Amino acid sequence: MTLLEVKDLKTYFKTQEGTLKAVDGIGFNLDKGQAMGLAGESGCGKTTAALSIMKLLPANGYIAGGSINFMGQDMSKVTGDKLRAIRWRDISIIFQGAMNALNPVKRVGDQITEPILLHENVDEEVAKKRVQELFSLVGINPNRIREYPHEFSGGMRQRVMIAMALACRPKLVIADEPTTALDVMIQAQILQLMKNLQTELDLAMIIISHDLSVLAETCDLLSIMYAGKIVERSSAVEVFANPQHPYTKGLIAAFPNIKGDRKMPASIAGNPPNLIRPPKGCRFSERCYMVQDVCKVSEPPLIEVLPGHFAACHFVQPKR
Amino acid sequence: MVKDVVAVRNLEVWFPVRRGFMESLTSKEQMWVKAVDGVTFNIKDREIFCLVGESGCGKTTTGKAILRLVEPTGGTVKYYGPGLSPKLIKEAAADAVSKRKMKKEMAEKDVREGGVEVRYLHKSTMKALRQKMQMIFQDPYESLNPKQSVYDIVAEPLVVNNLGANEAERESRVRKALDDAGLRPPKDFMWRYPHEVSGGQRQRVGIAGALVLEPAFLVADEPVSMLDVSIRSEILKLMLDLRDKKGLTYLFITHDLSVAYVFSDRIGIMYLGKIVELGPTEEVIKGPRHPYTKALISVVPKPDPRMKTDKIILKGERPDPAHIPPGCRFHPRCPFVMDVCRKKEPQPLYVSQEHWVSCWLESGVGPQ
Repeated sequence: MTLLEVKDLKTYFKTQEGTLKAVDGIGFNLDKGQAMGLAGESGCGKTTAALSIMKLLPANGYIAGGSINFMGQDMSKVTGDKLRAIRWRDISIIFQGAMNALNPVKRVGDQITEPILLHENVDEEVAKKRVQELFSLVGINPNRIREYPHEFSGGMRQRVMIAMALACRPKLVIADEPTTALDVMIQAQILQLMKNLQTELDLAMIIISHDLSVLAETCDLLSIMYAGKIVERSSAVEVFANPQHPYTKGLIAAFPNIKGDRKMPASIAGNPPNLIRPPKGCRFSERCYMVQDVCKVSEPPLIEVLPGHFAACHFVQPKR
Repeated sequence: MVKDVVAVRNLEVWFPVRRGFMESLTSKEQMWVKAVDGVTFNIKDREIFCLVGESGCGKTTTGKAILRLVEPTGGTVKYYGPGLSPKLIKEAAADAVSKRKMKKEMAEKDVREGGVEVRYLHKSTMKALRQKMQMIFQDPYESLNPKQSVYDIVAEPLVVNNLGANEAERESRVRKALDDAGLRPPKDFMWRYPHEVSGGQRQRVGIAGALVLEPAFLVADEPVSMLDVSIRSEILKLMLDLRDKKGLTYLFITHDLSVAYVFSDRIGIMYLGKIVELGPTEEVIKGPRHPYTKALISVVPKPDPRMKTDKIILKGERPDPAHIPPGCRFHPRCPFVMDVCRKKEPQPLYVSQEHWVSCWLESGVGPQ
């Protein structure tokens, strides 16, 4: 069952220098209970894409085109009370940087009860009980609901954030760099927790990260973004086993592999292009090792290389 | 035999826990946060020595204590590298003896070995020596002053140390440092501000700021952890190049074992203020002996969903360095804990020529 269908989404920002096309025509589907990874370098538009789904864009950002179909509603058109009813109840987000995302002067329990009381017609007692259940679910002692954020360590705060995202039993959770600020051991704990919760609660998730290895461990589907576009999209296993786009190949090669040989990973030279004036043709052409004249003139479409496996490059052909 | 550049022995950095007035009257025992609690290692000439551990294990404090950016409270830090003249060595030894900080025999040993005890160096000597011992900081987004141009940032160490006879000479040194750090051509970058360059270039500016003093020993504190994966290896390759061309020696501090694996020559695994395992990189990663090392290696995310490995996920988080558990400090989280671990602290045991581990499970070739 398709839960979320994003079609040709365009999210732009008005800036002094012109319109910045942060997300420029991306599309994907997400089923109930599926986890999709959105990968790419910083500034490629992955966070903007996710924020567009929840309509949490800053004042100068706007959805310039396309549709976001979430359970039969076009999120790009929903506003006001209707939008508020969906946010956090059906879609919630785990923000980047658990260290700063909690209110330091409010007890964590109260911060989590807030959305429950707002969205559901229950009294405080019930909400409090739910918070305690959520705490045990994410592996925090339920007696700690009266503590303040500073009394929690980084990993524990991230668990609080996860509990908060799950407060209203959403259908879709967006996790923006959920483990970037954490240590490897804590990262492993959090990833394991997210994976378990996802299966247990049949959650759909969008996990945003620049770290492909984190996505490899948690996601069923994987979309690779570059300069506002999805350049490759398929199941996670397929993307790693059979990468098509040179950018995907580069990203995978950039990882040091502790199980493999001891060699310095490759890097992708250069920087992502300016999104106010994106280059003509393929946006990756400036950094691509197999660039040809055609890449600088025409933009490659996202084609289906194998069933369910899409890539946007002039040099990939559909394989049958 | 390859000469040591830095040798650290039983290094301790303890911070006092502040007590209330009444507490000090009732003479309650002074508590310490033992950030670094007896760390011993040496770094050879042109070597990349890597300290790995979770945040709060004391790896950054160790690096800072070597440069005396925090003052060590115990142990010794010897520096043997370039930038020392026989005169300086003798003076430093005499100074330390006259201030009753070092025994005469120890000072004479330093002079014979051609090293200085960094801990007891006079402030002015330390300042001069610090030109040879520099640090690269973790976060290129926060360690650069946003109001200074790249030129000013890189030239600042020269100004502080009163180097360069005139502006023209300073400029040429800045240009060279930028060029060495891979910001080419330097004139394109010199007059930009930090927000006008990319993340990878920022870290290159940080490196140029360290290189401008022509150091011999660099402490690199998580230099790539804030960068995108796609540009990490460029920075690592730059650092390798600099070692080969300029003969640099590195202390590399990271929590990322996979980076340590591809980049370093030897690894020390730190846990709660102590090194628990140390050895050549390949040996430690492919044949870890300490349960903590094994767990750390097992949880490194693999960049391939087809590789499912058994993870040893340790429960809980590291204990507080103000309350270090008795016996082996890892025992509350150790999956193999035995009775002896709770009572006695294990001593380093060599399991091969250069590889040692502190764990009661080991029965190596013999205690050192």
